[in-house]
Amino acid sequence: MVDVLQFFVAHSFMLRALVVGVLISLCCALLGVSLVLKRFSMIGDGLSHVGFGALAIACAANVAPLYFSIPIVLAAAFLLLMMSEKGKIKGDAAIALISTGALAVGVMVTSMTSGMNVDIYNYMFGSILAMSNGDVIVSVVLSVVVIVLFLAFYDEIFAVTFDETFAKATGTKVSAYNFLIAGLTAVTIVVGMRMMGALLISSLIIFPTVTSMRLCKSFRRVVLTSVGVSVLCFLVGLAVSVRFEAPTGASVVCVNIAMLGGFALLGVLRNLRPTAKIYPLRRILTVLVVIVLCCVMLLPFFGRVESAAPQRPVSVVTTGFAPYDFARQVAGDDAAVTMLLAPGEESHTFEPTPQDILLIEQCDVFIYGGGESDAWVDDILSSLKGSRIVVRMMDVVEVQEEVLLDSMEGEADEAEDGEKEYDEHVWTSVANAAQITEAIRQALCDADPAHAVAYQKRAEAYMAQLKAMDKAFLQLGREAVGKSFVVGDRFPFLYFAQRYGFTFYAAFPGCSAQSNANPRTIAALTQRIRRQNLPVVFKVDMSSGNVAQTISRATGAKVLTLYSAHTITAEDFMNGETYLSLMQRNLDALRAAMV
Amino acid sequence: MMLIDCKNVSLGYENQIVAENINFQVHQGDCLCIVGENGSGKSTLMKAILGLKGTADGHFHFGEGLNGKQVGYLPQQTTAQRDFPASVYEVVLSGCLAAKGKRRFFKKEQKQLALDTMEKLDLLPLRQRCYRELSGGQQQRVLLARALCATKKLLLLDEPVAGLDPLVTAEFYRLIQKINRDDKISVIMVSHDLYAALHLATHILHMHQKTAFFGTKEEYLQSDLYRAFSGGAAHG
Repeated sequence: MVDVLQFFVAHSFMLRALVVGVLISLCCALLGVSLVLKRFSMIGDGLSHVGFGALAIACAANVAPLYFSIPIVLAAAFLLLMMSEKGKIKGDAAIALISTGALAVGVMVTSMTSGMNVDIYNYMFGSILAMSNGDVIVSVVLSVVVIVLFLAFYDEIFAVTFDETFAKATGTKVSAYNFLIAGLTAVTIVVGMRMMGALLISSLIIFPTVTSMRLCKSFRRVVLTSVGVSVLCFLVGLAVSVRFEAPTGASVVCVNIAMLGGFALLGVLRNLRPTAKIYPLRRILTVLVVIVLCCVMLLPFFGRVESAAPQRPVSVVTTGFAPYDFARQVAGDDAAVTMLLAPGEESHTFEPTPQDILLIEQCDVFIYGGGESDAWVDDILSSLKGSRIVVRMMDVVEVQEEVLLDSMEGEADEAEDGEKEYDEHVWTSVANAAQITEAIRQALCDADPAHAVAYQKRAEAYMAQLKAMDKAFLQLGREAVGKSFVVGDRFPFLYFAQRYGFTFYAAFPGCSAQSNANPRTIAALTQRIRRQNLPVVFKVDMSSGNVAQTISRATGAKVLTLYSAHTITAEDFMNGETYLSLMQRNLDALRAAMV
Repeated sequence: MMLIDCKNVSLGYENQIVAENINFQVHQGDCLCIVGENGSGKSTLMKAILGLKGTADGHFHFGEGLNGKQVGYLPQQTTAQRDFPASVYEVVLSGCLAAKGKRRFFKKEQKQLALDTMEKLDLLPLRQRCYRELSGGQQQRVLLARALCATKKLLLLDEPVAGLDPLVTAEFYRLIQKINRDDKISVIMVSHDLYAALHLATHILHMHQKTAFFGTKEEYLQSDLYRAFSGGAAHG
């Protein structure tokens, strides 16, 4: 128990998540009682989609997401209410219109701009790391406002919730209270969706009320129980996410499901008819359900928060596969090397679990790319205790701006308005790989001088292999002068192409999480293959290959895979494939495409 | 003492007039039953009296001491209420909201009023029970208690016995009659049950094909409208 709680307290990002989460759960539960009982549950869901759309626009326009989304979601909430009060469009249809409309706008904006896929992913599914100090302040202020208003207008809220017509007839300003509740819900959802995710935040509004309605017979008890259930489920959910390396939002919702199940069972037992067969057992069964429920809720707090790092004197942690492979070649048996990105995991939507963060905190050498996929790293590094040697691969080599090749989709003008996007797949050039290996050797020697000689020896041997591979590609590059290759996929091979002089035509830039190109792009690539009679269209490893397959069907060109070595499939990992063996595959594939 | 004077009121939804030239008065102690077929505008008239809906033409004058907010209203039940987790006491107490005014939280007097009203309607034993677990007749009694908490003068009932079985219906009518006679609380009731209405009412407002008949029960029984409506032979 101590372990999990200690983990909560010891890390500032966990503490922020804890504070924001408890307060948001509390607000959601209070507002949820009124919304669920008024049959307005879906308003929460609708508003979270609007929130998502607003966040997408905020990310694209580079403005603070919170301050941009709150007014938009507020406006949507009021619009929803007005639409359903005027009665022209019924409540459920109005919500569906607004929520799907906002979602579509969000997706449109996302597809027109890239370089924010990680952010968008975080907002869809939530991230406990996303909480800033500003969020903490906003959520404290918000929850104080919600609690004070809810208490002050408790009697009116009850009357309006139970019977709007009667309340109106006796002179209560019903629409004012409706607007109050909708407004508070809008703000709560925007603040909460950063942690819980846009897809899951509305569950915090609905679950606690429905759960407490299983057992409670008065409005006051429903309110109190909902608040209790909501906060408890959040705490347990956070513990689950720490203990079992699960995403926070989903963990909280799963705990809520368990709680609802328990309460529903208790409700059934309580309302059992005396004629039912199990009626004599109802006391025992009730006690049993309560005990099981308590155990389930307490379970995540026990046990150790363990880091998977093997007990070696020196440990190295890397994000992706390429640096992992370089480090293990140099480290041999003298240091433990761990990769955060599990084999088979998509690199651009990676979100570290609390365990991962613990690993980074305890390691001696940490190696990461430094590009867009690693946007979370800087937040984490600054909040960690202790010290470690950090190797940022993009600092080791000369970086290139992410460019749009001919026929590529993307935001051609984004690079001009401010921040430059540097391509992060530096290791795809084997020459860069050698430079990175040298940097890793240096870091290992500094961290563990006792084995410096061994590291040096292994690094030299490995660099000789890299050099040979580099030579092979240079040779191929000379043969390929005047030839071109089509990649019907994203293109993480910028450094590779520039080092060896290959001419590529690709569908998307390097980090794009898109997998469906627009018809114009496909047509352009198809035409190129036809015109030059190219035998092969490439896809990139770990992608769905949709675009490549479409082109292949249209032209008859064979689909071959190019490996970026950013991540690796579980099967290849088990078979002991390495960076060099993946590069060998690329070499063979390119050669096959040149015939 | 006159409570409501309704002069030349016309009702309608969206450019369509449902009823025209409605005229009636309600005095203290009266029991006015509004009858008529479905769609004749009975419930619309009720909502117009309560100020929930505007009128197409004409207006209501409220007598001294009655400002349109001091009426007790028993609306038709909504489906949402049927599974609402609220105790009987909470529901009845919410009728005191208008009396509470600008203050936050209920005062002792209002809580006492709720308890007294519940006692009058035999609801005290059910006080902690959950509203949704009550029978239909009990639920209607709870809503009646809530309406009584909101008024000392005028009660508006919208189809109060819809969905109740005959025994409970008779019982409920007796209760309304008692409140009307003993407490001198005027009642306006919408009903499509003509005979029950005749039993309770002192006055009848019959809404029929855009026109409305208003008069005392005796006048109504002599009217052509009543003859036509009851098949002529009933009281002939």
